[in-house]
Amino acid sequence: MTTLAPPTADLRRGVAYWWHSYRMMLRWQLVSLRLVLPVTVMVQVLTGAGFVLALGLFFGQVPPRAALFISTGVLVLTLVTIGLVLGPQLIAQQKAEQTYDFLWSLPVPRTTAALAWVTTNLVLGVPGMAVALAVALWRYDLDLHVSPAIVPAVLLTLFTGTMIGYALAHALDNPMLIGAITQLTIFLILGFSPINFPADQLPGWLAALHPWLPLAPMADTVRAALTQGVVEDVTRSYLVLGAWAAASVAATALILARRR
Amino acid sequence: MNGHDWSLRVRDLVKVFNQKVRANDGISLTVEPGEVYGLLGPNGAGKSTLVKQLIGLLAPDAGTITLGPHDLVADPDAARQLCSYLPQAQMPIASLRAREAIDITGRIRGGDAGAVIRRREELIDALDIGEWRDTLGARLSGGVRRLVGFAMVAACPGRVVVLDEPTNDVDPLRRRLLWQEVRRLGDAGVSVLLVTHNVMEAEKAVDRLAVVDRGRLLAEGTPSSLKAEDRGRLRLQVMLAPRADTPVLPGFVEHHTRVGHNLMTVLPEAEAAHAIGWAQELIGLGLAEEYALGATTLEDVYIRLTGDVDAESPEEPV
Repeated sequence: MTTLAPPTADLRRGVAYWWHSYRMMLRWQLVSLRLVLPVTVMVQVLTGAGFVLALGLFFGQVPPRAALFISTGVLVLTLVTIGLVLGPQLIAQQKAEQTYDFLWSLPVPRTTAALAWVTTNLVLGVPGMAVALAVALWRYDLDLHVSPAIVPAVLLTLFTGTMIGYALAHALDNPMLIGAITQLTIFLILGFSPINFPADQLPGWLAALHPWLPLAPMADTVRAALTQGVVEDVTRSYLVLGAWAAASVAATALILARRR
Repeated sequence: MNGHDWSLRVRDLVKVFNQKVRANDGISLTVEPGEVYGLLGPNGAGKSTLVKQLIGLLAPDAGTITLGPHDLVADPDAARQLCSYLPQAQMPIASLRAREAIDITGRIRGGDAGAVIRRREELIDALDIGEWRDTLGARLSGGVRRLVGFAMVAACPGRVVVLDEPTNDVDPLRRRLLWQEVRRLGDAGVSVLLVTHNVMEAEKAVDRLAVVDRGRLLAEGTPSSLKAEDRGRLRLQVMLAPRADTPVLPGFVEHHTRVGHNLMTVLPEAEAAHAIGWAQELIGLGLAEEYALGATTLEDVYIRLTGDVDAESPEEPV
């Protein structure tokens, strides 16, 4: 006697279906990362703490303003590297191992898979961020003023970084290309973005460009929520970052709905 | 059933890649509810392209795909809810225990928790994979991982189950168990689309089948109806001696193929005695080691239609 239920005629739609799918995709993603999750969180924690300490070595005696920039910037680094690097790498791996088609044949709204991935990144990223902040406080004796705005700033930064990486990785078919772009992104973020240093230390044209790219506004919003008198116009940063978030969501929706 | 005819209907399906490769070139077929339907063809025939349009991963350039009242081309969400898919590649379950993989997929596919657990246990028993219930996917052999993949798609299958080479790497005993479960899916009213180039296995498992090559449907019917044209013929299989050249064939041989040392010939029934005499003569001369004379099989039909002898031709474009 089979326990197989007869197939139904009705399609699932609506909020309950969306919520169920979101919970199932989150469970699938967390369980799928089970073997690498502890290592990934550990690497995030060590790189966060490591960055705080290593960047301080550039100076010897770290000026208070530099310490503030480094400490707050490293939080943004730990958040965006997950979304811009780990996500695309996993998707590239799915494409290389040809498991991508199965995952995208699952009957869930595309938005649930994307949002479950943002949630997974939050789980992966927050411990590293917290430890980096603790190490910075211990190492540089910072004068921090933490405001409730830290919650939206961190969420918006993580969300936007994750969605940009997600859209990029889904848009490209070649896993090698995804890997190469990921490497380049990390290099540009570390070397040429006003995350760990003020924008006025960059060449003029690059300093003028950054307020329109997502990284500087990410750093501004997080920094403004942790300090006083360092960031001047945070409203503008929220607007630019919000626009990037909206654009990345739209791009992801278009790319995921696309059938070749 | 629910007032609808739940046949899967594909009509005049065309899919062109890079504006020149016609991967599907006007394919039409119908799979009835409860039917196990084989899609046979060499690599590059267009089978995977057809399947990916069915489950909403590719959009056709022309033609329609409907399932019951649903237009699967216009509504890929419906396609994914109604069709479950076992791809030829392994499932991404390295970090999942076998039972978890089945449970989560069953739940994603809309089964409620209790029903999915009962169904999981039934499938685990039926496929005889109980000893790996709590084993991580990464530690499973290829064949067991394949069976877990089948259980994942069969836990809450929807209306159509697409199985792409489901028995790859599976041992002969469990292959039988797998085919039994495929049949039970059919008995429950699910249409099963079996994609394969394993003709011998398909012959036993399917109700009907289509032979596809170069994007076109070459023939369709039951295994017996497809073999009907070969009625009155026999197949003589001769195992040639190592390094022997293909011998001069007697006039009664209608067509032949050679794969390695295996020479397969098709001949009229009336020539059976002559054929045996010829084969014994080859053995006597040391040119052959053994022979077998029997009824023609679906494989002979397949080879006649596709000219494909070992199913190892270039890869499909997608």
